[in-house]
Amino acid sequence: MKSVGNLYVIVTGIVAGSLLAEGLASWYYSGDEGGLRFAGYVFVSPVCYFVVAVGVIWLGWYWLRLTGRITSIARALKADKTSHIKSGKGKILNALIEAINNRFSDNSSYIAELENHIKDLQIQIRLSQGQKRNTEAIIYSIRDAVVVIDAFDKLSMANEAAGKLFNFDYKSSQHKLISELVCGEKTKAGEDGFVDFLRQSRRGKVRHTRREINFAKEDGTKTFDCIVSCVYGEAEQVCGVVAVLHDITREKEISQMKNDFVNHVSHELKTPLASISAYSEMLVDGEADDEQTRKEFYSVIQNQAKRLNRLIEDILNTSRIESGLIKVEKKPISLTILIEEQLQMIRSCAEEKKIEIIGQKPIVFNQVYADKDMISQVIINLLSNAVKYTPCGGSIKIETEVDEIASLARVSVTDTGVGIPEDEIEHVFDKFYRVSANKKQAKGTGLGLNLVKQIVEKVHNGRVFVTSEPGVGSTFGFELPLATAEVVKV
Amino acid sequence: MAKRKVLVADDEIHIIHVVAIKLRNNGYEVISAENGAEAFALACEEKPDIIVTDFQMPGMTGLELVRKLRQNETTKDIPVIMLTAKEELEISELLSKPFSPKELLRSIEDILYQRLVMRDK
Repeated sequence: MKSVGNLYVIVTGIVAGSLLAEGLASWYYSGDEGGLRFAGYVFVSPVCYFVVAVGVIWLGWYWLRLTGRITSIARALKADKTSHIKSGKGKILNALIEAINNRFSDNSSYIAELENHIKDLQIQIRLSQGQKRNTEAIIYSIRDAVVVIDAFDKLSMANEAAGKLFNFDYKSSQHKLISELVCGEKTKAGEDGFVDFLRQSRRGKVRHTRREINFAKEDGTKTFDCIVSCVYGEAEQVCGVVAVLHDITREKEISQMKNDFVNHVSHELKTPLASISAYSEMLVDGEADDEQTRKEFYSVIQNQAKRLNRLIEDILNTSRIESGLIKVEKKPISLTILIEEQLQMIRSCAEEKKIEIIGQKPIVFNQVYADKDMISQVIINLLSNAVKYTPCGGSIKIETEVDEIASLARVSVTDTGVGIPEDEIEHVFDKFYRVSANKKQAKGTGLGLNLVKQIVEKVHNGRVFVTSEPGVGSTFGFELPLATAEVVKV
Repeated sequence: MAKRKVLVADDEIHIIHVVAIKLRNNGYEVISAENGAEAFALACEEKPDIIVTDFQMPGMTGLELVRKLRQNETTKDIPVIMLTAKEELEISELLSKPFSPKELLRSIEDILYQRLVMRDK
């Protein structure tokens, strides 16, 4: 701009100079003409030329000033949008500058507002990104299966448990249709039911719904407590659905076992109670005519009360051993004497069924380090089971052997009873478990063998074992550490 | 009038014993069985006027016994009293264990009396 300005000064100077020279020249030569022409030339021409030259110079100066101001305004605009442009002398130019300045001040406040808004948005984005990461961490760390779908039934998010349950890669399955992910090639009722449940919840716009769904898995049917919640958009439309599936298979099993146990136990408790109640009523009502009958009634009541007590003890002992509250008094005891005592107790029951009892062979003199009452309980439980499940005319054999090298004594009770099917044998020591085929054979709480296992393994660090052949018989037994010097010291 | 015959089925020998004494003392003839199968055979053979059975018995449960009795032409009309805590509609009367021999006797008398009245009608 400066060079253009300089050029303009030079051109204006040449034009103004040449006009002035032209005026002076015409004035110099005007002496050759007449008087009027002389006067005209002398006064008019130089003045005219002078005025024109001055006019040209003023115009040039004004234009330069104008362009200078405009350039400075442009520069100011370019440099800083918010700067205030200084006003000059020209009225029009000042009005323009004022208008621009006003616009500037308007714009700058608007821009500042926008900038604040952008900052707010950035903070909000950072916060929601943090929240998203938190949510993901929570969902991934939950052991329950979590599945989140959008309004088009496509997967938005799932965790590892969900991936395992439905057999899909939970990290790379986003935006895939849930029906394709969950239902495999083979249509299964559980998976179909789950997808339908999600769809129904989404369409029904129900805030929370709950349903138990069974899934047929390789290791058996699994029951899940499925809670589905709808995610709502701003216009109250459902924009997604969250499903949380909690595995309640074990809880169901335990609950079923508890119910079975209560049923069993209540029946078992009621049986001796029924006798006690009926016999005592008969005595009160004077239905027992003679002393002999009365004695018989008293004896029945007494025995049934003992039976009731044994049953209650069984239940309590199981519970005490499990909770670690039982008092254990271990000392060196003779297995042979202990077994003989229990054999005496069971003999009458065996005789009723004409079951032959083959006593302990060989006689063992070694002692075991154990709680006498508890081991008595173990032996009587094994013997009474043998009597219960052996048909009339069968036999029961009890054997004891000592393994000096392993420093333990082994007791086994072999019967010629109904036996246990192969697929059930591993469960016979489970609490409340009763061999389904043999339930009708005899009554029981399903506690006896569990108590045996608890006493031998948990209290005495021994081992229980069982072998069986259906229709031939079973052998139940246990191993206990011998009462060696080291064991007793410990 | 001939003695009324009652069949008592229970795997608990004490229960049979006490029921038998109560009923005999009150002029009934008592026959007994220790399991369902035996009870069914005895019912077919002896045609008792009424059967008192336990619910839970080895071999055949009381309920299975009742079903079998109902299917058999000679035993289908014999009233049954079941000693149980469980409810079942097919049975004439339910008595929950522990039971009172007095109540049992009263139930037997009631049922047999109603039968008599209906037969007379």
